Amino acid sequence: MFHNSKGISDFDLRNAISSNRLLGLWRLMRGYQWDYIFATLMQGLSAYSKTATYLLLSYFVDHYILASTGKYPVWLIALAFVAAAAFQGFFTFLSGRSAARTAEGTIERLRNYLYDHLQHLPFAYHAETDTGELIQRCTSDVDALRRFYNDQAIGVGRIVLLFLVNFAALLQLNVKLALYSVVAVPVIVVTSVYFFKKVSAAYESYQEQDAVLSTTLQENLSGVRVVKAFARQPHEIEKFERTNWEKYLRGKKLLTIHSLFWPISDTICGFQMLSGFMLGALMTIRGEITVGNYLAYAGLVVWIIFPLRGLGRLIVEMSNGLVSYDRVFKIIKEIREPLDDGSYQPKTDIRGEIVFDHVNFEYTQQEQVLHDVSFKIEAGKVVALLGSTGSGKTTLVNLLPRFYDYTSGKILLDGHELNTYSRRYLRKHIGIVEQEPFLFSRSIRDNITYGVGRDVPQEEVEQAARMAAIHDVILSFPEGYRTLVGERGVTVSGGQKQRLAIARTLLKNPCILILDDSTSSVDTETEAQIRMAMQSLMKDRTTFIIAHRIQSIMNADLILVMENGRIIQRGTHQSLLKEAGVYKQIYEIQTRIENELEEELSSAV
Amino acid sequence: MPSDFYEEEEFQGQLNGNVFKRIGGLMRPHWRWVTGFLIAVILVSILDAYFTYLSKQIVDEGILAGDTAALRRILIQYGTMIIIQAVAVFAFVYLVGVLGEKVRYDMRQMLFNHLQKLSLSYYSRTPVGWIMSRVTNDTERVADLVTWGLLDSTWGVINIITAMGFMFAINWQLALIVLAVLPILLYVAYEFRKRILDQFRKVRKVNSKITASYNENISGVRVIKALGREDENLNEFKVLSSDMRRFGYRAAWLSALFLPSVQIISAFALGGIIWYSGAHVGTALLTVGSIQAFVSYMTSILWPIQDLARVFAEMQRSLASAERIFSLVDTPPEIKDKPGAIDPGTIQGDIHFEHLSFWYEDEMPVIKDLNLTIRRGETIALVGSTGGGKTTIVNLLCRFYEPKRGRILIGNHDYTDLSLQSIQSRIGVVLQTPHLFSGTIRDNIAYGRLNATPEEIERAARLAGAHRFISNLEKGYDEEVGEGGVLLSVGQKQLISLARAVLSDPEIFIMDEATSSVDTLTEAAIQKGMDAIMRGRTSIIIAHRLSTIKRASRILVIEDGQIAEMGTHAELLKLKGKYYNLYTRQFRFEREDAYDVFKDAAAAQPLEG
Repeated sequence: MFHNSKGISDFDLRNAISSNRLLGLWRLMRGYQWDYIFATLMQGLSAYSKTATYLLLSYFVDHYILASTGKYPVWLIALAFVAAAAFQGFFTFLSGRSAARTAEGTIERLRNYLYDHLQHLPFAYHAETDTGELIQRCTSDVDALRRFYNDQAIGVGRIVLLFLVNFAALLQLNVKLALYSVVAVPVIVVTSVYFFKKVSAAYESYQEQDAVLSTTLQENLSGVRVVKAFARQPHEIEKFERTNWEKYLRGKKLLTIHSLFWPISDTICGFQMLSGFMLGALMTIRGEITVGNYLAYAGLVVWIIFPLRGLGRLIVEMSNGLVSYDRVFKIIKEIREPLDDGSYQPKTDIRGEIVFDHVNFEYTQQEQVLHDVSFKIEAGKVVALLGSTGSGKTTLVNLLPRFYDYTSGKILLDGHELNTYSRRYLRKHIGIVEQEPFLFSRSIRDNITYGVGRDVPQEEVEQAARMAAIHDVILSFPEGYRTLVGERGVTVSGGQKQRLAIARTLLKNPCILILDDSTSSVDTETEAQIRMAMQSLMKDRTTFIIAHRIQSIMNADLILVMENGRIIQRGTHQSLLKEAGVYKQIYEIQTRIENELEEELSSAV
Repeated sequence: MPSDFYEEEEFQGQLNGNVFKRIGGLMRPHWRWVTGFLIAVILVSILDAYFTYLSKQIVDEGILAGDTAALRRILIQYGTMIIIQAVAVFAFVYLVGVLGEKVRYDMRQMLFNHLQKLSLSYYSRTPVGWIMSRVTNDTERVADLVTWGLLDSTWGVINIITAMGFMFAINWQLALIVLAVLPILLYVAYEFRKRILDQFRKVRKVNSKITASYNENISGVRVIKALGREDENLNEFKVLSSDMRRFGYRAAWLSALFLPSVQIISAFALGGIIWYSGAHVGTALLTVGSIQAFVSYMTSILWPIQDLARVFAEMQRSLASAERIFSLVDTPPEIKDKPGAIDPGTIQGDIHFEHLSFWYEDEMPVIKDLNLTIRRGETIALVGSTGGGKTTIVNLLCRFYEPKRGRILIGNHDYTDLSLQSIQSRIGVVLQTPHLFSGTIRDNIAYGRLNATPEEIERAARLAGAHRFISNLEKGYDEEVGEGGVLLSVGQKQLISLARAVLSDPEIFIMDEATSSVDTLTEAAIQKGMDAIMRGRTSIIIAHRLSTIKRASRILVIEDGQIAEMGTHAELLKLKGKYYNLYTRQFRFEREDAYDVFKDAAAAQPLEG
């Protein structure tokens, strides 16, 4: 209708934030608002066409059946009936179409926005937010909003318009009769809202039990070996029966509420209608209204009263929809981390010289994570970080791609302050190999080329895989490089994941490298392969190694020993061995272990 | 994984007499309920049509005749009918609703009970999500078919028949017009419904992809940011999202077109009635009330038609669901008691593996002609690389699987001659990834012996070395472990499953040691627990830790489905073969771990304490 597609898809949903939730939902429809108004108007016209059918019937009976005063041929009247129905159908269709366009369009935009928003929210946000909760909001709550637009809001509009149009028609027929016919309306609406509140609560408790049942079932299925090992099948059956029975009971309660509501509301509506019939019939007999009027009345009154029963359901569901608005917009209110802000854009490739100058970092005001970190590393050299969990190694390397921004001090990359580079630029030039990187449920090949940002020919992929010592493993999978990873494909071990990440990083070809060297449980051969793969990766790149052992870092150009966010020792392997300290202790332990092994072996044999 | 993922495939849901018969079988125990709600709904349906007839009477005999007494009589009759109908409505909603819940309950229980009998091989080839979907979604759909589906179609058929009956009684020529339109209406409605359902199915499929996509985007956010793949991701997602809009819009569009279409068709019939009656004025063929009645019948007949169309369109899916349910129930357990299987009272004694061969479904041999005797009370350590067959040996011994060739003797009985219960209730197993059930720690330990007293539970926990950490918890033994034990560390879960095994006082103890390292304190506690349970029992341990390995009376190096080396620690070291390599490597690894100067800080992390 009133489309300006660019403005629609570019609309920043932060503009739809409002403390008034209805206003927020209105703004969220930006670009579709006219569509929605149109949909509502069409509901009104459709209601009017329906009313017209009954008015036509009234005219027909009064002027053709009971008298012969009709001015038009009968076939024209018959045609008018068809036309009224056609109009009614046509308007209903237009309304439904526009409402669907609004709902689906608005929600598609919301879905895309949320998806993009989530991947642009800073690490800090993801670190403290539960994944399941986020997914819940992005799916269930978003769908609740879709229903709000597509069914509920428009449904309420439909019922209200039906009521208004038909009531207006009744008023025209006869004011007294009209007023008399709506006496019970408040009772119907209140009863309906009351009942559906109950239904909503009962339904929620039913759903909760459904979740319990699923958990019980799922734990039984995934723990099948334990169940069998202890021969606990009877116990499990009894346990499941309890949750199953509880679900039955809650379902029964829900059904009882329903089975009371429908007959009660039927009776109220029925007697309201019946008393209308009585008054109308008496008035007709007394000649106050025509027989045709009575027929029109009998038809119209049904459409005033019965739809109101559904109002309660819609109102209760709408209030649930408003809660979903809050939950979704809680995410949208979070501030994104900008990818492209940065005043410096290097003309040539970066070399990779990095200087930390009295760098401090804290996540929150209270706890400082890095204290006064200073060091310099020349381009292409290797710096190793050694320290316990929580000593600040990971935090330090997280500053480089600007996952977090340091709080004070300076970090210089090729002589320029790090935060003058855009995040996008930095991340493009920094490669990270985690100990057990996350793999996506797509093919092995797609995982290797993931994020490389260009089309990579198969030979190149294979070459990278060979260098990462994973090629042969991949060939052993059922479909080679096209094998899917995850639930519907192969399970990939920690060491294999790491090598896949190495292959990916080789393709990405970054100038700065961050490696997590903690070897997961792999056998000697694989470990050697991983080490070789890492060596080939480190060539000519400024490399940060997060290490847990000494062997892998003896050749590093600079070793930093960290504790509680501070550098407590620095130097090369040789120089560190000469000073007393943690590093030397660790090294001595290695020697001690070898001696002990000798001893152990000789004593055993 | 969203449950919709495992739907739709494989079963066609064709009209199949056998499936109907079995569904009927499910309903047989509830025949009184079915009869009850059918009577109620037939009553409701007849009354629905009758109300329209009464409205006609009001006009013809009350208003046009000017007879207030008749009017009063008709209205009283009308009111009485409203009350009778309300009672009938109450009856059918209650009966059909509660019956639906009953049937759901029955089917879920039937599936669950059968699942308990199925063998491990079934579980290894069937994803948990698939099974879950059978128990939750399919039962839902079948129950809907036999309750609301049956109800709606009964209501629809009776309503149409009664309405047609009244129409023929009023004026058969006009009734013929309606009758002519009826099949067209039914056909159009059915075709619409089918297409709408189809769109909804597409919507659900895309929806599960979207959920999966969100999941990856959130779980993999670290990788995504590091690789700067945000823009590509968004573009990929937009494709899904726009599919979702398209299908959703199309479903809504079809739904919006559906009602108007049938309305317009029925409007032609209405036009015909008006035209006919207008042309026959004065012939006394048709009263005013009759015209009104026809208009009402024509408008209200759309509802039963819609309902019928819906039920029939959904029937295919429901039948497919039923087929899947029955196929699960029909799956025979592969491992079950032989006829005349005995319970020897004890399974203490030597264990013999004789020419044992085994392969899983891919038919790749996993165990090749293995011979082994384990003497009563011996502790055997199985070592060797992953995939060598250690776990399979344990699976066979627990009789989770049975040998394909050769046999296993326990105390001179071929163990397939014994009842499963007699074996499995006397074996204590601790798995590599300990599985806990939601509930308290006490519940989880008591799984080993359900009627254990609190004192016995505590004693088992003390023996297993679990008591210390449990008593440090705020609620002690009554602390909730969370779904799958998420609130506990791996080490703690191991201790609890050890305590569970101790409590069950098994005759054979089997343990698959965890590979992941735990802190020193927990490690020591686990070792203590293992000591306690292995004392005087035949024990088979898939061992990773040196302390465990060295404690064994015999060590078996399992490679490629065979015993590569066998002997005591000292004997095997002398060989300087596979065991030697394995041992030296593990020795360095463990010592480095133990001496790690950084380790203390890591061990001080809250959960590991």
